[in-house]
Amino acid sequence: MNSGLNSNNSTLVAAFRAALLHQGIYVLLIFAILAVAWVSAREWLRPARKPRPATPEPAWRELLRIGFGVIWIFDGLLQAQPDMPAGLPSQVIEPTAASSPAWVQHVVNWAGTTWSYHPIQASASAVWIQLGIGVWLIAAPRGTWSRLAGLASVAWGLVVWVFGEAFGGIFAPGLTWLFGAPGAALFYCAAGALIALPERTWRSPRLGRLVLAGMGLFFIGMAVLQAWPGRGFWQGRLHGAQGTLTSMVTSMATTPQPSFISHVVAGFASFTEAHGFAVNLFAVIALAAIGSGLLSAALPEVGLRAPAPWLIRATVIAVIAACLADWVLIEDFGFFGGLGTDPNSMIPMALVIVAGYLALRPAPAPVAETAPAPEPAEPSTAPAEPSTAPAEPAPAPRRGSWQRQPARLARAFGAAGTGAVVAIWAIAIVILGAAPMALAQANHNASPIIAQAIDGNAAPLNFKAPAFTLTDQNGKQVSLASLRGKVVLLTFLDPVCTSDCPQIAQEFKGADQVLGAKARDVELVAIVANPLYYSATYTRAFDTQERLTNVPNWLYLTGNLAQLRQAWKNYAIAAQILPSGGMIAHTDVAYVIDRSGYTRNELNFDPGPGSASSESSFSVELTQTAEQLLRSS
Amino acid sequence: MSGARTATGAVMAVACLLLAGCGSKPAPSASPPRPPASPPLATSFASTGGASWTVVQMGGSAAQENNFWQVFLRPAATAAWRQVTPLGVADNGGLVVASSGAGSLVTAFRPSQLLTYTPLAASTDNGAKWSSAGPLNGGLASAADALAAGPGGQLIALTSGGTKAELGQRLGATWTRLVTTSSLNATSAGKACQVTQLTAAAFSGGSPLLAASCGRPGVAGIFADTGGTWHAAGPPVSGDTVDVLGLASSGTGLVALLRATSGSSASIIAAWSSGGRWTLSSPLRIGAGKLASTAIGQGGSVGVTWNGTKGATLAGPGATWRALPTLPKWAATLALGAQVEVIAASGQTFRDYQLAAGGWSLAQTVHVEIPYGSSS
Repeated sequence: MNSGLNSNNSTLVAAFRAALLHQGIYVLLIFAILAVAWVSAREWLRPARKPRPATPEPAWRELLRIGFGVIWIFDGLLQAQPDMPAGLPSQVIEPTAASSPAWVQHVVNWAGTTWSYHPIQASASAVWIQLGIGVWLIAAPRGTWSRLAGLASVAWGLVVWVFGEAFGGIFAPGLTWLFGAPGAALFYCAAGALIALPERTWRSPRLGRLVLAGMGLFFIGMAVLQAWPGRGFWQGRLHGAQGTLTSMVTSMATTPQPSFISHVVAGFASFTEAHGFAVNLFAVIALAAIGSGLLSAALPEVGLRAPAPWLIRATVIAVIAACLADWVLIEDFGFFGGLGTDPNSMIPMALVIVAGYLALRPAPAPVAETAPAPEPAEPSTAPAEPSTAPAEPAPAPRRGSWQRQPARLARAFGAAGTGAVVAIWAIAIVILGAAPMALAQANHNASPIIAQAIDGNAAPLNFKAPAFTLTDQNGKQVSLASLRGKVVLLTFLDPVCTSDCPQIAQEFKGADQVLGAKARDVELVAIVANPLYYSATYTRAFDTQERLTNVPNWLYLTGNLAQLRQAWKNYAIAAQILPSGGMIAHTDVAYVIDRSGYTRNELNFDPGPGSASSESSFSVELTQTAEQLLRSS
Repeated sequence: MSGARTATGAVMAVACLLLAGCGSKPAPSASPPRPPASPPLATSFASTGGASWTVVQMGGSAAQENNFWQVFLRPAATAAWRQVTPLGVADNGGLVVASSGAGSLVTAFRPSQLLTYTPLAASTDNGAKWSSAGPLNGGLASAADALAAGPGGQLIALTSGGTKAELGQRLGATWTRLVTTSSLNATSAGKACQVTQLTAAAFSGGSPLLAASCGRPGVAGIFADTGGTWHAAGPPVSGDTVDVLGLASSGTGLVALLRATSGSSASIIAAWSSGGRWTLSSPLRIGAGKLASTAIGQGGSVGVTWNGTKGATLAGPGATWRALPTLPKWAATLALGAQVEVIAASGQTFRDYQLAAGGWSLAQTVHVEIPYGSSS
């Protein structure tokens, strides 16, 4: 999944910024169109105001909705950091999955590969999807669209949890609450699911009890794991090395961040190193106590007396304190270093628990309508539970009739509140982000931006390609003139090369596959670039090694040393013998020659890291250059 | 209320199951059978004509692709080693040199990185000039004697991790399959040995000889090809599992280096064959030591180094093992010419130490220009 590029590669960073700017203009444009349409509908159609909801939104739901909306927006902004396109797969996703079982790595690699093949599209998509979900959650307080925002949070949260967090590390051996188990995104999913619940669930304390009890069980389980011997948590130092917790905190302290924060974290690392047992004992007791306190909230569910309110309140305060302490001292805020994708799990976890606590108090009783609604309410904001509303507005139009009644739809749009319009805009942002990612997922060929990030853009040329007459791998004479009428992709390869040449050969082969039927108008030509190993037995061995023997338009040409030297000179190829067992140092380049024998492009073809994505990217770059010539001639 | 209890119970049960799963450890899997350890690549050889050559790894880099193998040769009746590494191919996968005498050398470049076949270079003047030969389709096995050169440009190459042997003509211009471990194990000689891996090749009187690691104790797997049939040609070795580490024609007969393993403890045994009869040396116990190099010298002398600092030599048939003083730093292999030498290689420096009365004495230093980064 690793593209092999530096995360701060200037070409990728510039392309990422350009993509964000480009898509940002679309986002603003959509907003402007929506705003104009909304204002126009209100002015021209003068729809009646929609009725106020019958039941006020409970505090717990508002907290989750706005809290997680803000977090999603924050995550979206973090996703816009310049290191994300190249850095996320190699420095975040891959290491996160590294300690998990092979099947987890396989699943995670699948997504990482998509990202590394299309780094710009994937990075920009993540930005807009997360910003969109955040705005959507905040802007849609009630009704179906609000619940759908919750479901969108669940869906994208699951994507992040599985592919970005490797299932939150729950299958990895070092699972612990202290390091953020079971993954921040799982709390995004939990919050989304709670937001998506129907209104009838709001009016019973049962929801709050179940949330707190579930979290209580989780904390007790985490306490057991924390206490489990042999996992390296009881020791500040172990076998001459740092214990598990110390090692984690020490590594977090090295994250690029403001120095006063790293000093605090490093100080805590020293403390855990010196007092490993005491720190872990405190953690175990705290987790167990919090877990028991939260679990006690469910006592009425099993027919027992409810605990005293102060106990639950004190437990929730303890949770907040513990989460904050862990967030600062161990998770190190989670978003520093240029590749932080979210503020980690403690804040989302605390939000869910506080929401559970607030949900222990039933939602206020429905209130009477304050304004009649002669026009049907905009469906997105209409109360979803007719049974709970004391007075329904005028009958809503049947959905199927909307297409037949654009005027009515326009009136409904005009009647919508500001929040609903912003929610529609947010949905458009999510779609704007998701579409390129879906397209990228469907495209198995990498973006050419990776090749350009490695070697720069193709240089345009315009001169008659120097002639050559050499012998192909089958002993047949081939001249450049004999290839007239075809686009020629020409390179120079050492048949005994151990690194670049096999990669370049595969990139040419890949170009042949991407070209498909057009490949019959393209000839892939390599000339030997080794003054010592240039016999046809070696070009044949190379072809066998690279599985090029079945590529009909592949020619690997050689000749006597004088012929080869002339070709190298004509095409500015250096082929230098290195001392003491080094392979031949030669120029990695590809020339693109048009049907009439003119050299039109020179591509620097140093294959760089040789990752799957970079190989595919070079193939696509080669293909696009050839297709350009095929179209123009 | 009953529904609520059921739901709560179900949530608790699922959570407990999940937590139990988190805390459990996977059952340990049975350890696979130990594969035979390949013979070391670092070696030296002194031909009957008096010339000696040695193959050592240089570079000293943590990145494997930046460590390049070098061939040094000392012509007969001269005192100095000279670097004769063939050029044009990255040799960071290892070099294997074979000689057919009279200054003829063939060097195989073990494939590395993305190269999967084996380029060959041939010289008729003790490595002063090389020309391309071969290639050998497939990767040469990792063993100092995985390549053998015979009369008339014949070659034997062990490939595919020592599971196949190929016979080359005209310095590897063409190759035919000589044998595989499977086909060898189908013969009575192979059955007696239960060949696990071919480890060395040689020519004896123009006929191919192969050596192997045996799965059956008490058998040294050396096989001779007579008229298309393989028969056992090795000595019996009591008790232990035996790997043949080296095999060479030497003067009047053959010399072989054997590793006899019993449990985790190993011994090195030299064996000499003359007129079809084998003579075995006493065992040299190296325990669980990691063998680093083998050396075969004139008159059937042999030497080994292990664990970086230990070495021992044996002057020939009938002699006993002689423990050497602690080897100099960076010792790569022994060289057994007129006297016992240690070849040391560190970074870009090749050093030749000779054994003197007071210990090791530095006799020669050669600076080698290592092409760091050329294969990255």
